[in-house]
Amino acid sequence: MVQNTYYPDFDVLNSIKEWDPTTADVVLKRLGPFPPLKFLRGEEEMRLRVIAKHLVYDTRDDIFNWVIHFIDNRLNEGIGEYQREPDAPSEDILVREGLIAIDNLSYKIHQKDFLNIGIKDQFKILSDLQVGKAASIPDWSKIPQKQLFDKLLILTVSGYYSHPTVWSEMGYGGPAYPRGYYRIEFGLTDPWEAVRRNEGDKKKIDKEDSDGV
Amino acid sequence: MEYKTSVKHNYDHYKGHRYDNLDHRKYGDKEADVCIIGVGAAGGVLLYELANAGLDVVGIEAGPFWDPQTDFASDELHAYSLNWQDTRLSTGNDPLKFGPNNSGRGVGGGTTHFTGVFYRFHESDFRVKSTDGVAEDWPISYQDLAPYYDKIENDIKVSGPKHFPWGAFNGPYPYPEREPISAMAQVFREGCENLGIRSSTTPLAILSAPFDGRPPCTNRGFCNEGCLPNAKFSTLIQHVPKAIDKGAEVITDSMVTRIMVDKSGKVSGVEFSHKGEYYQQKAKIVIVAAFAVETPRLLLNSACPQFPDGLANSSGLVGKYIMPHSGHDVYAKFDEEIRLYKGTPVMACTQDFYESDAKRGFVRGYTLNAHGNRPLAMAKVTALDAGYWGKDLREIMLNFNFYGMITLVGEVLPHIENKVILSDQKDEYGMPRPEIHFTYGENDNNLIEHGVEKANQILKARKGKPAFVAADTGHLLGGCRMGDDPEKSVVNSFCQSHDIPNLFICGASVFTTSGGANPTETILAIAARTGDYIADIARKGSVE
Ligand SMILES: Cc1cc2nc3c(=O)[nH]c(=O)nc-3n(C[C@H](O)[C@H](O)[C@H](O)COP(=O)(O)OP(=O)(O)OC[C@H]3O[C@@H](n4cnc5c(N)ncnc54)[C@H](O)[C@@H]3O)c2cc1C
Ligand code: SF4
Repeated sequence: MVQNTYYPDFDVLNSIKEWDPTTADVVLKRLGPFPPLKFLRGEEEMRLRVIAKHLVYDTRDDIFNWVIHFIDNRLNEGIGEYQREPDAPSEDILVREGLIAIDNLSYKIHQKDFLNIGIKDQFKILSDLQVGKAASIPDWSKIPQKQLFDKLLILTVSGYYSHPTVWSEMGYGGPAYPRGYYRIEFGLTDPWEAVRRNEGDKKKIDKEDSDGV
Repeated sequence: MEYKTSVKHNYDHYKGHRYDNLDHRKYGDKEADVCIIGVGAAGGVLLYELANAGLDVVGIEAGPFWDPQTDFASDELHAYSLNWQDTRLSTGNDPLKFGPNNSGRGVGGGTTHFTGVFYRFHESDFRVKSTDGVAEDWPISYQDLAPYYDKIENDIKVSGPKHFPWGAFNGPYPYPEREPISAMAQVFREGCENLGIRSSTTPLAILSAPFDGRPPCTNRGFCNEGCLPNAKFSTLIQHVPKAIDKGAEVITDSMVTRIMVDKSGKVSGVEFSHKGEYYQQKAKIVIVAAFAVETPRLLLNSACPQFPDGLANSSGLVGKYIMPHSGHDVYAKFDEEIRLYKGTPVMACTQDFYESDAKRGFVRGYTLNAHGNRPLAMAKVTALDAGYWGKDLREIMLNFNFYGMITLVGEVLPHIENKVILSDQKDEYGMPRPEIHFTYGENDNNLIEHGVEKANQILKARKGKPAFVAADTGHLLGGCRMGDDPEKSVVNSFCQSHDIPNLFICGASVFTTSGGANPTETILAIAARTGDYIADIARKGSVE
């Protein structure tokens, strides 16, 4: 079972008045509202949302609104993707064609599109992609499976672990400029940092824990 | 939105002037004494040293002139804008990662987002071939760099221990060591002590007391995101403003696409692209200080009838022998909170495994750094490098505060197959994208295995439960190595190209071997020494 938060009372945003204006602005924008999508179209958003939820094992749509917005913006900007294999498609094509390939794969195995198969089957498809062992379909000649999985994972993780709600659950103290951290030694915390609760007090945050996926 | 930087800056800077266009350039059509390509770690120091020597010097930088107060944020995702984000093609058995893991873009280069760990290389690092029979010796010795290490440490007030146990310099450092140290650094030192391994606080380019109007560190932990209080040194805040004060010009948001060559076969200046327009800067001397990928790329892309294989490339070695450090992150879970996000990320280290030891079955060695982290960086290595996702990833990250980490900085030996070449794909400037090949050698892999094992032992000795290892790299070096023999190297010991006397190459690319420690202090010391040499040449009025 997924461990629930040790820090049920902590909200990193309670300190926002202590942050410098640039940081506060950057982080608050992640709470929405978000402008219309620019890159993702049609069912792409829904497929990507389901995949992203599985990749980081969470289902809260407010967080995934940000994740989707982040990915959409990144794919639309074309600012550069740091690195890719010489024969790999650029990330916008990798994601766009990759989502189609995932649907085609789902049809081949289950005769249904990806959104209509069960969560367990969706997870199975993702784990096959991770190790490059998904059933053979023509799409894989253009879209390398593992690179597709890694790209979806890195984009999702980048958005998800930049959301303040997720920080709060981890007990991450967050931005600390100008005030800084002072009690940095083992066992010490500054007064505004997250306080850990006992096992029994942990708040349940994962609604889909029990469905066995 | 984060990915679009909202930086509103001027593009042309010199004393008393800041322009948001390039209509008022200080030298314009005139010839400057020196043009520096890339105002990062090495470029910033050269700009300062040469302006100080009274030369007319222009730095041209691809990225912006950051204002830490408005352009930096205490946020990992936002800080990606400090990195070189352009797509590079990466391949080989161990393809390198770029972006947040590598070079900077913007005045300050990598120093705006480096961790501030500031080691000298050891004497043995410069003579690997003589002592271990592998790789090549440098054309300089530790003693050649020692006065420049001293100078740099004093110029920026490095904080460090009274006694540093390893290498030729044992302290004391100009400023006292940082104190207190973070929980991770404490745990690391206790683990070392339990095993009889020597450890030390880390020398850092981060202030432990005020200096030059800058405050000491407040332990926010965001060194890799750009230091907002300006407690951490960067050439952006240290060398560049002083250079401008001494008369240097800095042109930003301008990508140099070609180095020009005159009829006599000397370089005559550079061509650069700014907002889609092309400009030129003529100069008597050109210095390329554009990091280990862009430097060879630019030299290769500047091929011309006199130099059809690219500039400075008669040896065929431009782009060859690139070396990252093996940078494996070794994680352990503790029963108590470590809270990796607090404090300067690296505050303790050991170099007990730095020198070659015949018993270990490999040559050379490594540094182990106790290492802090923030959520996104940890989630990314946990997912991508260690392979966790879904429920496992979530569970690990919900326990973020209970993880500790040690990072390896392992020497990687030079191998000619590890290289930067031009690909057949073009970027927005019409330049071929760089293609980078990297594969670890056997010695490298044996060293990594040893380092990871030691790190796990240290964590275990302090009751950490080894959790996972994320295979990572850091600090790319090489590609235009220095040496005395023009057939086996690209530049001489003063970073002057063997082929073209008024073309210099400086920065990470000139390293002959990688050493087993974070490299930037050595980059800066080499740049300061090169600066002295060029100033001397200029005083004598000739670069022949
Ligand atoms: C996350 C991280 C942490 C690090 N921590 C440490 C540490 O703690 N200690 C340490 O010793 N080292 C550290 N490093 C390494 C350090 O940043 C580099 O070694 C150092 O910055 C390299 O110096 P350089 O001058 O060669 O290149 P850079 O500092 O990268 O400068 C190159 C500059 O050239 C510019 N440029 C490139 N191409 C062009 C062009 N065509 N035209 C114009 N401009 C161009 C770039 O924009 C850049 O500003 C770290 C690196 C990273 C990524
Ligand atoms: S930890 Fe210190 S040096 Fe690093 S960013 Fe914060 S204040 Fe600057």
